[in-house]
Amino acid sequence: MVAREFAGWIAASDRAKKGMHMATTLTINGETKSFDAPPDMPLLWVLRDILGMTGTKFGCGIAQCGACTVHVDGKAVRSCVLPVSAVESRAITTIEHVGSTPSGAKVQKAWLDAEVIQCGYCQSGQIMSAAALLAATPNPDDADIDAAMAGNICRCGTYVRIREAIKLAASGRQS
Amino acid sequence: MRILASLVVIAIIAIGIGVFIIRGPGPLDFAGGTKVALADYRAGKPTGVPARLEKAGLVERGEYLAKAADCMVCHTKPGEKDYAGGLAFKLPFGTLYSTNITPDKDTGIGNYSDQDFLNAVQRGKRHDGARLYPAMPYTSYTYMSDEDVLAVKAYLFSLPAVRAKAPDNTLSFPFNQRWAMMFWSAVFNPDTRFAPDSSKSPEWNRGAYLAEALAHCGECHTPRNLGFALDNRKKFAGAITAGWHAFNISSDKATGLGNWSDADLISYLSLGHAPGHGSASGPMGEAVDHSFSQFAPEDIKSIVAYLRSVPPVASSDLPATTAPVAPASHKDGVTADARGKKVFASACASCHGWSGESPVSPMATLTGTWAVNDPAATNVAQIVISGTRRHTPDGALSMPAFGNAYSDDEIAAVANYVTARFGTKGSKLTAKDVAELREQTAE
Repeated sequence: MVAREFAGWIAASDRAKKGMHMATTLTINGETKSFDAPPDMPLLWVLRDILGMTGTKFGCGIAQCGACTVHVDGKAVRSCVLPVSAVESRAITTIEHVGSTPSGAKVQKAWLDAEVIQCGYCQSGQIMSAAALLAATPNPDDADIDAAMAGNICRCGTYVRIREAIKLAASGRQS
Repeated sequence: MRILASLVVIAIIAIGIGVFIIRGPGPLDFAGGTKVALADYRAGKPTGVPARLEKAGLVERGEYLAKAADCMVCHTKPGEKDYAGGLAFKLPFGTLYSTNITPDKDTGIGNYSDQDFLNAVQRGKRHDGARLYPAMPYTSYTYMSDEDVLAVKAYLFSLPAVRAKAPDNTLSFPFNQRWAMMFWSAVFNPDTRFAPDSSKSPEWNRGAYLAEALAHCGECHTPRNLGFALDNRKKFAGAITAGWHAFNISSDKATGLGNWSDADLISYLSLGHAPGHGSASGPMGEAVDHSFSQFAPEDIKSIVAYLRSVPPVASSDLPATTAPVAPASHKDGVTADARGKKVFASACASCHGWSGESPVSPMATLTGTWAVNDPAATNVAQIVISGTRRHTPDGALSMPAFGNAYSDDEIAAVANYVTARFGTKGSKLTAKDVAELREQTAE
């Protein structure tokens, strides 16, 4: 697996030497998307600027705020530091589609039930991280929530409601 | 009178023996084969440029050699013009600044004759007769052929002259006495050109020339002796240089390169990453970006062939095996350092994962790297402080610098957590250690 990805990178590098842009194909939300982009362009830029999928937000640009979180092969990663050449042939899920995954649907419902959102800017990322957490750990305790959500920062301080909503989503209760 | 004379003789002999013992073997003495003069060696061409550049002009050949010797990294201050100097080297006894080696006549080397340039590069002697400090690795470059040194000069002289005067060094006494380097040089600079070993393959000889005369691997990877010169009894056994751990690159199976495949070594040198062994960062990252990634593939192979022949020396400060993958859940495995875990959860886990195998890219995988398996955590702390960026292959990965975002205490805590969770033995760094590591790094 690792070796294959690495071989892919070297191939990407060789292609890049022949020209700045290269035809890239990604699998995003189950659909194949083809476009031209430099191999070192962050996935976030591809999503927002090339594909017009603006649900994923730009926050800090250095993987420290979590606003740009997407899923790659089901794991929550920060798309702002992820070069597009590193995710070819991997399954990408964004906020636009996470509602059609079981954990994403539960999280979105709980988010509405608990009225989590204040300004909302960080919430795409919060929901993506929470959905990845519930997919891997269906009944998270506080320590699990800390470990999974610590990298998602909220300026409005909605942390208490985020924690409540994650527990709500896990239990399947109504608020 | 006679007693006095014999005492003087005894003292001189004692000093002579002392110097001989401290100096130890030369960088290629381990090979032990039959050395022949370069001009008499017919089996191959260990010096010069690779075949594809054989017919290139002098400047182009010089450019390849200047990159192979990695002149630029030390002679360029970040953000300033290439080769214009001014990079600070923080030493325990003061700060040294690299010089301007652009052809500017006042502040660079524009007035250097060929002989002046040879004297500087091979003998550590400046145009005005003053001695260079061995931060300039002339004890390695001394093995370069005159032809190659002068090709580098031709390349440097083809560049735009930049007017830039490096700040004055701030060395304390007695280290500020440049003339005293005359004695250091007499003892530690062999002042001799590369002599091929006819008992070895042409590939080995090319690798030896590249590694010793040009790439000067030993300057970081070989420990230093009492005189701050390379101690080749422990050749390539690893050392701390500029605040980073330059790991063991001898052929030792456990702590050196003995268990790296040829493909691993080729990948590491040319791309700065080998699957399962980590990515080059800090000074080695710079060496890959500016030097090794520009090498012809056959030159990389030659270096690998040469490295294989360096006798194994075990590093007692490293574990015999690196740690396996950590548990996938944050709850399993080491949870000793609560503060370190907190920092890891918020700043590191999204890219490195809780298992150490990165969900993002094999380049960001911690498992199996020496950095996390080094119980001193030197490089973990340094990478956290200054971040790291791989330029090759294109679209490779970067890690932000956390040096200004986290306190020394937090950096120590996260380094201790990371080495305990992903390595064999947790480090015991304190805030003071981290502050000292910050001090040791070059700019």
